[in-house]
Order: sequence, then C-alpha cells, then structure tokens
Amino acid sequence: MVDLIKKNIKSLQESLFSSIGSAALTIATTYLVINFFRGMLGFALTSDKDWLAVLNNMQLYMVQAYPEEDFIRVWLSVGLTFVLAGLSIGIWRSDDRVKSSQVFNSFFKGGLGVLFFTIIAPTNASYMGNDGSVITEEVFSMDTRLGILIPVAVFCVIFFSVRFTNINFTVNSSDMVFFYLFIPVALLWFIKLPTIQLDQNNERIIPEPLMPIADTTKIPWTIIFVAFLVSYFIGMYLKNIKSIKSTMSLSWFLLPLLIFSWIFKKPQIDMSVVLGSDLPIFGVFLLWGFLVITFVNNSIFKKYYSTYLGATFLLTLVGVFSGLPMLAKTCLLLIALFSVVVPAVSTSSQGKRSLLIVWAVALVTLTFLLRGGASDTGIVVPGSSIFGGFSLTWLLAIFGTYVSFPLGVLLALGRNSKLPIIRIVCTGIIELTRSVPYITWLFFASVTLAVFLPAGVEFNLIVRVLMVTAFFSGAYFAENIRGGLQSIPKGQYEAADAIGMSPFQKISLIIMPQALRAVIPTLVSSAITAFKDSSLVTIIGLFDFLTIGKTVIGNQSIPVNFVGHDRENLIFVAIVYWIFTFTLSRRSMKVEKKLGLGER
Amino acid sequence: MKNGLKALSFFRNVVFLKWASQIIFLVGLLYIIWSYIQNAVVNLEQTNIAFSWGWLGETPGVSIAEGMYTLPNSGRQMIQVGMLNMLRVTVTGIFAATFLGTFLGIARLSKNYIVEKTSTGLLEVVRNVPLLVQIFFFQAFVLTFPRLEVFDVGTYNLHVSAKGIAFPWLNRQPTAYLFWVYLLAIFLLANRIYKWRVQILEKEGRETRPFLWSIGIFFGLLVAGWYGGYRVMGVIGFLAGYISTGVDLLPAIFYQILFSSIAVFIGFRSTKKFIDSKKSEEAQGIYSDDDYFKIILNVIVVLLVVVLMFSSVGLGLSNFLVGDEIVFKADWGVPQFFDGVNNKLYWNPEAKIVLDAQLDGMKKAEIIDWIAVPGTEVTKGDVIAIVIAKDLKGDLNQEISINAKYTGVIEEVFVSKGDTIKINDKTYDIRVTDSKPLELSRPKIEQIGTTKFKKYADGFGKSLSVGYFAIWLGVVLYTAIFISEVVRAGIMAVSKGQSEAGLSLGLGRGALLRLVVLPQAIRVMLPPMGNQYLNLAKNTSLGIAVAYPEIVAVGQTLYNQEGQTLPVFLIWMAFYSTVSLTISTIINYYNRKMKIVER
Amino acid sequence: MSIIQTKDVKKWFGDFQALKGITMDVAEGEVLVVCGPSGSGKSTFIRCINRLEQHQEGQIIVDGIELTNDLKNIEAIRSEVGMVFQSFNLFPHLTVMQNITLAQIWVRKKNRAESEEKAMELLERVGIPEQAQKFPGQLSGGQQQRVAIARALAMEPKIMLFDEPTSALDPEMIKEVLDVMKELAKSGMTMIVVTHEMGFAKEVADRVMLFDEGMLVEENTPEEFFNNPKSDRTKLFLSQIL
Repeated sequence: MVDLIKKNIKSLQESLFSSIGSAALTIATTYLVINFFRGMLGFALTSDKDWLAVLNNMQLYMVQAYPEEDFIRVWLSVGLTFVLAGLSIGIWRSDDRVKSSQVFNSFFKGGLGVLFFTIIAPTNASYMGNDGSVITEEVFSMDTRLGILIPVAVFCVIFFSVRFTNINFTVNSSDMVFFYLFIPVALLWFIKLPTIQLDQNNERIIPEPLMPIADTTKIPWTIIFVAFLVSYFIGMYLKNIKSIKSTMSLSWFLLPLLIFSWIFKKPQIDMSVVLGSDLPIFGVFLLWGFLVITFVNNSIFKKYYSTYLGATFLLTLVGVFSGLPMLAKTCLLLIALFSVVVPAVSTSSQGKRSLLIVWAVALVTLTFLLRGGASDTGIVVPGSSIFGGFSLTWLLAIFGTYVSFPLGVLLALGRNSKLPIIRIVCTGIIELTRSVPYITWLFFASVTLAVFLPAGVEFNLIVRVLMVTAFFSGAYFAENIRGGLQSIPKGQYEAADAIGMSPFQKISLIIMPQALRAVIPTLVSSAITAFKDSSLVTIIGLFDFLTIGKTVIGNQSIPVNFVGHDRENLIFVAIVYWIFTFTLSRRSMKVEKKLGLGER
Repeated sequence: MKNGLKALSFFRNVVFLKWASQIIFLVGLLYIIWSYIQNAVVNLEQTNIAFSWGWLGETPGVSIAEGMYTLPNSGRQMIQVGMLNMLRVTVTGIFAATFLGTFLGIARLSKNYIVEKTSTGLLEVVRNVPLLVQIFFFQAFVLTFPRLEVFDVGTYNLHVSAKGIAFPWLNRQPTAYLFWVYLLAIFLLANRIYKWRVQILEKEGRETRPFLWSIGIFFGLLVAGWYGGYRVMGVIGFLAGYISTGVDLLPAIFYQILFSSIAVFIGFRSTKKFIDSKKSEEAQGIYSDDDYFKIILNVIVVLLVVVLMFSSVGLGLSNFLVGDEIVFKADWGVPQFFDGVNNKLYWNPEAKIVLDAQLDGMKKAEIIDWIAVPGTEVTKGDVIAIVIAKDLKGDLNQEISINAKYTGVIEEVFVSKGDTIKINDKTYDIRVTDSKPLELSRPKIEQIGTTKFKKYADGFGKSLSVGYFAIWLGVVLYTAIFISEVVRAGIMAVSKGQSEAGLSLGLGRGALLRLVVLPQAIRVMLPPMGNQYLNLAKNTSLGIAVAYPEIVAVGQTLYNQEGQTLPVFLIWMAFYSTVSLTISTIINYYNRKMKIVER
Repeated sequence: MSIIQTKDVKKWFGDFQALKGITMDVAEGEVLVVCGPSGSGKSTFIRCINRLEQHQEGQIIVDGIELTNDLKNIEAIRSEVGMVFQSFNLFPHLTVMQNITLAQIWVRKKNRAESEEKAMELLERVGIPEQAQKFPGQLSGGQQQRVAIARALAMEPKIMLFDEPTSALDPEMIKEVLDVMKELAKSGMTMIVVTHEMGFAKEVADRVMLFDEGMLVEENTPEEFFNNPKSDRTKLFLSQIL
C-alpha cells in the first residue's frame, strides 16, 4: 500500500512539478480553479437565490401548458422511447466487459473529488444588494460540511480497501447502464425535496418538513424503469432474429412521428361514422386488393389485365372528383398504384403473401390516419401551442433534422453534379444560406415568409421555423455530405456505369451509401449543433426550453413570486443542455471508433 | 426511314437531354421564384406596405443604445450604426478568440495534468452549452452588480455596474483617421525596408540587420508621427477633394456603360481564351456539343448582365453610385465617398460638432449669443456661445457657455441667435488644426440632467454596455474553444519526427513550438480557422438577445417602425454575405501565401 | 462478321490528343491483346468502346450499334460490354454476393433467387464460391479481381474489356487471374485485353496490337508480333519489356 502511494506521488511530481515553469502553471491553475469553484458555489448558495424557482416549475419546463389530464400521453411517449432503447441495447448488446476493480476505482476517485471540493468549499459567501452594499453570510456551515465529509470519507475508504480484497469479477458494460439508471430511480423514493406551499391568502409558507417528490413523477419513472429492464431482456432474446436490426432502425425513425401525433392530437372519433362509412370502405378495398393478388396469375384475368388497369384508372379519376368520402378517394388512388405493382411482385406465393400483408397494413394506417387527422382534438392548450418547453426543443431538433437531411442530400448531389447550371444554382443556394446567420432566417420565418405565401395560406410559426430550418441545416448537411461524396474514388462511378446502371441507381445504390457512411461523425455533430441552435427560437418568441427558464419563470408572479430569479434558471437550463449534448457527442465518438475498426 | 429515326434520336441525344433538362430546371426555378415574388407583391398591396427603399432616407425617430450615432437622422445612418457595432464585436472578437484559442489549444497538449484537465474541462463545458444560454448568463452576471445610480458622480479608474463595465481608454480625436492611415503607411514602409535589407544581405553576403533597421525606422517615424508628422497623410484627403469634384460631373449612364463594358470584356476574354485553347495545334479547332453550349451560355450571361445594367435595376444602382438622393435618399455615391475621404483625411480634418452633454443633461437650449462666426480661429476651451439651457418641461432655466472642443477654424455655423436647439443637433463645423490623434482618459459617471438617472459619459474612457460585454465574451469564449480544437489538431498533425528532429537540435520546448511546430501547424490550421471566424461573425447576431444594437437588432427595430421587412432582410443578407466573403478572401489569401512558401 | 468496328477514332483531353485516328475491327470470338507504353492511349481506347470516355471524331460500332450521344445506344452497348478495371472497383459497402447480383436485379430485372444462383455459378467458375458472404475489403487482390470478372460476366456480355487487370496485383496473384481469363477465352468470349503480360498474349491471343502516342503502330498475330515484328517501334518496345 505504501508503495502504491509512493508511486502515485512520484508520477504526480513528474507531471505537475517537472520544472519551475510547470510548477508555477500548476499552482496558478489550481488557484484559479479552486477560486472559480468557491465563487460558483457561493453564488449558488447565497440566500438571494431561490432554487425552488427551478424545482417548482419542472412541469412548465418539460411540457409548458400541456393539460395535466393528458399527461398519460407524455408518460407513454417517454416509456415507449425507453422500451425501444432497452430493446436496442439488448439487441446490440456489447461483448465488452468491465472489471469490478475499474468500477470501484472510479467510485473511489469520484469520492475523493467530492471530499476535496467539500473541504475547499467556502464557508461564507457574499452577494451585492441593490444598493451596492455587500452582504456576507454563512452558506456552508461546519455541520453541513461534516455531514457530507464523514459519509463520503467512509465511502472512499470502503472502495479503496476493496482493492486489497479478493473481490474481482467482470460485468457486461451494457448491463452497467441499468445500474447507473437504477440509482436515480431508487433515489426518487428516498430523497425528499422541498416544495412550495401556499396558505389561504396565497402567501408563500416555507414548508417545515421536507416534502417527498410528488407521486406523479415517482411511480411513472419506476414503471418506465421496469419496462426498460424487461425490454432489455426481450431484446437479448430477440437478438438473433433475421432483419431485427433493420426493423429497430426503422422503429427509431418512426418513433418521433408516432410520439408527435400522439401528443399532438387526442382524436374525438365519432363511432357512428367509423362503423357507417370507414369500416365498409376499408372492407371493400381490402377485398379488392385480396382478389387482385389472388387472381393475378389466372390466365383469363391476365389477358384482360390492361383493360382492368384502364378501368381502375378511369374509376379513380372519376372518384377523385366526385363526392366520395376522403378515405374512399385515397384508397382508389392507392389501389390504382397497387394494381400496377402487383403483377411484377407477386410471381411467387411468398411474394403474394407479403404483398397482402403490406396492403392490409397500408389500409389500416390510412384509415386510422385519415379518421384521426380529420377529427377534432381533445387536447386544449390555452393561448399557446401544444408544444412548449423541452418538448418543443426536441420537436425542433428532431424534425429539423428530419426535413433538412433529405434536402441536404439533394443539395450536395446538385453541387457535385456535372451539369453546370444545376451545380451553380445549388452552390448559390448553399452559400447564400450559410453566409447568413440562423437568427436572421428565423426572423425571415416569423415576419417575412408569410408575405411570399399565396393569399389565404397560413402556417403556424413552428411550421414556418421548421421550413426555414430545413434550408439552413440542409445547407450545412449538404456541405458535410459533399465531403463524403468527394472521398469516393472515380472508379466507383465508372464501375457502376460499366454494369449499365442508370444515374439514379448509381447514386442511390452505390454512391450515397458509401458517402453517408464516410460522414456519419460529422453528420452527428451537425445534428448536435442543430439541437443547440434550436434554443435560438427564444428570440422570435417561441416557448422553448430556454424561453421558459429565461423569460417565463423570471416573470412569474402567480401562484408564487419568482420575479428576478432567472440566473438560477439559466444555470439549470445550461446544465440540462450540457447533459444532453455531452452524452450525445460522447456516444457518437464511441460509434465513430467502432465504425473505424469495422469494415475498412 | 433513316431520316425519321434521326429526328427521333434527337430526343435521345445525351447532350441535348443534359442541356434541355438543365434549362427546364432553371426555367422552373425562375418561375417558382417569380410566382413567390408575385405573391409578395399582391400581399403587400393588400397590407398597404409597398416594397420601397424610401425609409432609408427618413428619420426613424428611435434612438440606439450605443454606437457612433445614438440618435440617427435616417434609416441609412441607423443601419450604418448596426453594421459598425457588428463589426466592432467581430473584429475585436476574432483577435481575442485567436489569442485565447491558441493558448487553450496549447494548454490542452500540456504534459501538466492539472493544466490539461482544466482546459479540457472548460472545453467540454463551453462546447456543450448553447451559445445563447451562455450569453444570457453573462448578461445576468453583469446585471448582478448594483445599478449605476448608487454610485457618486465622478471619475473612476475601473468601474462595474449593472449598466456595464468602464475602464480607461485612448479616445479617438478627429485626427485619428489620419493617424491610422499614417500607421498603416509606416508599417508597410518598414516591411518594405526589411525586404530591401534582406535583399542586400543575400546579394552581398554582409550583415545588414534588416530587423533592426525596419523596427528602428518604424518607431522613429511613429514618434515623429505622434508629434504632428501624421498630418503628412493629409495629402490623401487633398487629392480626394479633387477626385470628388471630378466624379461629381459623371452622369449615371457612365456607370451603366462602365459595368456593361466590364461584363462584355470579361465575357469576351473568357470566351476567347476558351476558343484559343481549342485552336491549339493539338485540339485542331474541334468543338463538341458541350463546348457550343458553354459558349452560348457565356454569351447569354453577358447579355443578361448588360440588359440588367440598362434596366431599372442598373439605373437604380448607377443613381446610387452617382449619389442621387432621389432614388435611395442616401449619400453613399462615389463623389460623396471621396468627399468624405477629403473631410476625414485632410491635413486639418473637419469635425461636425453637435450640442452635447456639456449642457449638464439639458434637453434643449435657446441660444442667446453666438460669438464665433465662420472663419474665426478658436482655441480649445474658448467660449463659442452662450445659451439658456432648459430641461424637458422648460421650467428650469440656466445660463451656460458652450466651449470649443478643438483648436481650429470654424467652417460653418448651422444655428443662429434665438434658435432653440436640441441635444445632438449639429451646431458648427470646425477645421481641426491641433489635437493629438488619441487621448487617454478615465471613465466618468455623469448625471442626466436633474433626473436621478446616471450614465457613463461619452468620450471618457471606454464603457462596455451589458449587451456588448455579454455578446463579446460569449462569442469570444465559444469561438476560442473551437479554435483550441483546431490548434490542437494542427499541432498534432505535425509529425512526431519533426518534434524529435527539433529536440535533437537542442531546441527547448518553447522554441520548438515557436520555430518548428507552429509554422507547420498553421498551414493545417488556416482553413478550419477561417470557418471559425465565419461562425464568430454570424454568431454576433445573437446580440439582439441581450439588446446589443448590431445589424440584426437594428434591422428589427427598423422594420417594427416602418413595416418594411423585405428590404431589411435583403440588407441583412447583403451585409452578412459581404462580411463572410471578406473573411474567406483574407483567409484564402494567407492560405495561398502559405502554400507558396511550402514550395 | 466483326463485332467491333472503329474508324478513325480521335479523342482529345483539353489540348492533349490521346487518340490520333484508330481504325480496327474485332471479329466475334476473337481475343485481342493491346499493349504499349503507358500514356499511349490504349486504356483510353478501350474505355471509349463502352463510352466511359467520349470520342470526339470517328465511328465506333459495337454489334451493329453506333456509339453516339443517343441514350438508348449507350444503354444497349453497356449491357453487352463487360469491363474489368485495373483497380477492381468493387463496391466496398456490399458483400461479394451483392456485388454480383446488384446489376442483375436492378438492370436486368431478374429476381433475387435467380440472380443469386447465377452469382454462385460464376463464383464457382472463377474459383471462389466460399467467399460469397465476405466484403471486398476482406479479400486478397487476386480474389477481388476474380470477383470483378464474375460481376462483369453476370450481365452476360458478348464482349469483355480488360483494362490492365493484373497491374495492381502482387506477382503471386497474377496467375490466378490469368487462369480465369484463359478459361474465359477458351469458352469463346470476345475479349479485348490491355495488358503487359506477354506470356498471356503469346498463349491466348488471336491478335496483338501495339499502341504508341495515340496511334496504332502494329497489328499482327502473336507469332509474327513477337518473333518477326514489322516496325522498329515494336522491336524497341519488345526489347524493353522482355
């Protein structure tokens, strides 16, 4: 043990005090860091800060004005995300194993850090009153300090001494995720946080006992954690099923759309309409599709197939301009297209079966979407959009990426094209978009865009922002993808040409897959930037996460007065953004490493 | 039969298809743009706000918190303030961010555990928090300090309050422009002398001390300049005066013809070059279908430019350049430009003096006696006029004398006895004959009139408003972090062998970094560095969030006043594109220079 | 009946004239070896035959179809002419099997089972059926080139073009590729091979051509070409290479 300490001290000496300059730097930096920490902690703990302004407004932060009776939709969305995450972790379960000694060591080091910072924490801190006077008060009493120091010291000693025992086992690194997630969920049951209570006159009273966190948060999170765990095991079980991975990728792609519609609308469906009109139409078209698939290889039907096709198209044309219900019109269009495809695909019985499944699923989805989309929503949000707070931030980040990515691909291809006019136009669009800051585009969306739309056409501000974001992020994506395109050797184009592929096939089957794979890391960092940039909508008055912290809570006076407490909220907002972006960028770095080790 | 096939094959011709599809694409795109413009015209008609630039000439009637004019007299002047405020942050920010970023980048490569971890920690924090949040936080931080009103009126060395941060500064005098030009000139001269001495050294092989020579001459001239020598540069203003009179005579058609002929010349030259390349011995003058299309396209583009120059757009542009105030209500034409140079860079530059806070914060004043007439020579501090100062309600009268700000000859007086003038009204012009280009002064808190409000006095020290501080610190720190990554990557790209070779020559770590590693790393670093500068320039637009009046904020104020969103948006686009283009041109210039060195 | 006919084909790259009037024809089932120093235009010439490069003057007629800017003609010719490149140009993101089936499915519109059967057959023919599920990056150079040959054959071309198929290979791998090519020649495929492998030319070729500075210098049977060359340029070339 003594040797160990000696060794550590020696290496420390080498790294920190190798020369006079280095020693001076060490001391100066340490001094700066310690003082910065003391200042920050003192700033956070002085009595003019009210952290309840953050804690009490969690709901506002997350969903803004979303009605409380529909929270189940939010919880289900979060739950679904976690279930999918659990499945994915199970399916892509890594084979890396973490040594217990490593885990204990990191616990020990963390404990040491806490110890160090507890010791250097300031006892007194001062803040400036409105009259310029400096008020000093005790913020970190000896009791509190000891209250932290002693348990943490014990904790450290335990994990340090574990080193010298024989406890040595390895854990799967994927399993560790559950352990780390388990800690906060378990803490929800034990940690008690203060909440604000009001008396009859709406005066604020400081609650005597510490209140436990509301059950509305504790129980759902526990359920979600359990579901997460269960889906993890299911994922491990499903691991070897063919094409499960592509199914999962597709599910991840569709999940935001599902959550969006789920939170956006609670359809008030009139059952009589469903039974009277939707179901019969559904039945008729299901049967129609079934008949076509069954008899497509029948010789008589085959002979008159072109006549049948013509008749169907004619019927569709007539139907679309007649007074049929929307569902019937759309189904007609669909069956016409479907009939064209059928002969080509249903050559084998397997093809027929999968075609029938596709047809049924398409019809069900269509019926559901049309009926749901046409009905009124049961979610009423007074005076603002349904999405607000963190949900709006996510909406902007994810859908911004969704719409901008395809546009980015098109622009990149255009800029890389051999056709001069298309190349010049695309280059112009990309450069013009990129040379102007995002905020001016946001102003364009909020005040100017409406001018260009035909009279009578109006979009919600969020939609306009998404439209503009599509172009802005699209231009950045395009530049990244162009980098990937340029990295593809000329021989790949020639080989595709030589085997007779059409330009479209060449791009979609050969060039794009390779180009995208080459630029995944930069694309991820662009997406992270898009997430951070979504905070800019606060300037044009959308109620995103930042707006809630900066403006809404800072001006809140009912039911509790939090006017002027925007610094605490800003720190909280910064921490939340930091957690998300930091985790995302760390994950992407790991993925990048894995890709690098992979096929090339 | 065969002919029929040939006619049909026209539609399957690859070259034809290629160009036809492009032209259809272009026409479609233009049609879409045109239809949207049509929409805009209809929509604007309905809201009774016709697209116009007239507001550029009108007085917006709003004040700007900071900048060269706080009460701009026209929309154009307001935009100008916004642009300058933006450039102020951008230019100073680029230097600060480069310095800080390089420092942090080297710190991240340090072998010292604490230094390395601290800089990495800073990187991870700053990089992963949205810039806007950081800017808001810096703003909130300054707002923690007490309001300015709790401090006494007087002069301070360094002052922080909720109104901003103030510190001593070299303040600019009317002759400062002359001095800047002088500095630039002697810098170039010193550079030239350095090269000349090096040339001699290489030619004759004797020690010529080029560095000592150039730096000696530079400082010698600097000292000479500081004590009045800088006025030599007045020759520029002198010449500009003549040019101004000359170009004033040019009609708008001159510029139309000039631009058209430039377009024709460029088009002709590039086409000729293309044809010449085909005429060479090897190419034997054979053209493919593509080549014909290229030539046709070239001609079309040139024709388009010519037509555009003689359309209303070209006429507008030319009128703008002539300085015709009817179309744009702006005096930014070529003659005005030279006139401005003449005024600012004359031996005795002209200064327009406005009635300012000398009146102890009064809002208006009635002139009861104006002593100095045009042509008289005044010394700094002389009494020029006696006024009765009034506050807003007009119930507090006070007799005050106005003193001359600079020594010089009064050129023109804009007011006369009996007038009532307001603060920021122009009062007189003066040809400054004597003043130091820069004057060191300390910040001063003054009270605005009889109200309880206080502010940092203009022209005394430098005061950074809360908005300026927040946006400046925000963009500098944020960009510096990204630059530190660039620097780190650049240094790491220099191979280990280079460092080892340097170390084996006995260079110290510092010298190794300075002499071997950095010069090579800069080559790798320049292009990504340029990207970061562009980002910095664009990020300054977040100033609007902390009420810093840069171009976006000013534009927003303007369209809220006038309802002209579209022109404002076009101005934004033009301005930011110009700034971006300038930055990338400079970076490209250095990039090329570096590459030439490499050869 | 000649399957490829060219008349006075000329081609410029900017100021540089790469082909200075090539006139020749190839009969069906003939194996033609094209050799010459680097930069002599031989690669450019065969790339012109399937329109990877455009010739600017002259005529190229493949199987009765003239190569012009006509889209249909280009498509038709490309599906009849297979090409093997010096640097293989396999698609690195697809498995060997997918590399071979891709064009069959998307260009020839065959179904998957059928094209996979065909692919296996071809892989057996080139001797590497066991590598079907690997990615190109996991194969050796010789194996990659054999996959490239299989990929070209999958389109059932009438003519095969080889653009220096062995130049990028290690010596020990050249043989395995040449063996496949010999087998192909014996099966009666029309082949134009740009190569420096004189052994291959002697053994398999029906005719040998020498290109120099964009011109066709000599055209002869292999025996005559190697033993009794007509032009001095050929003699010089042979003395340098053998």
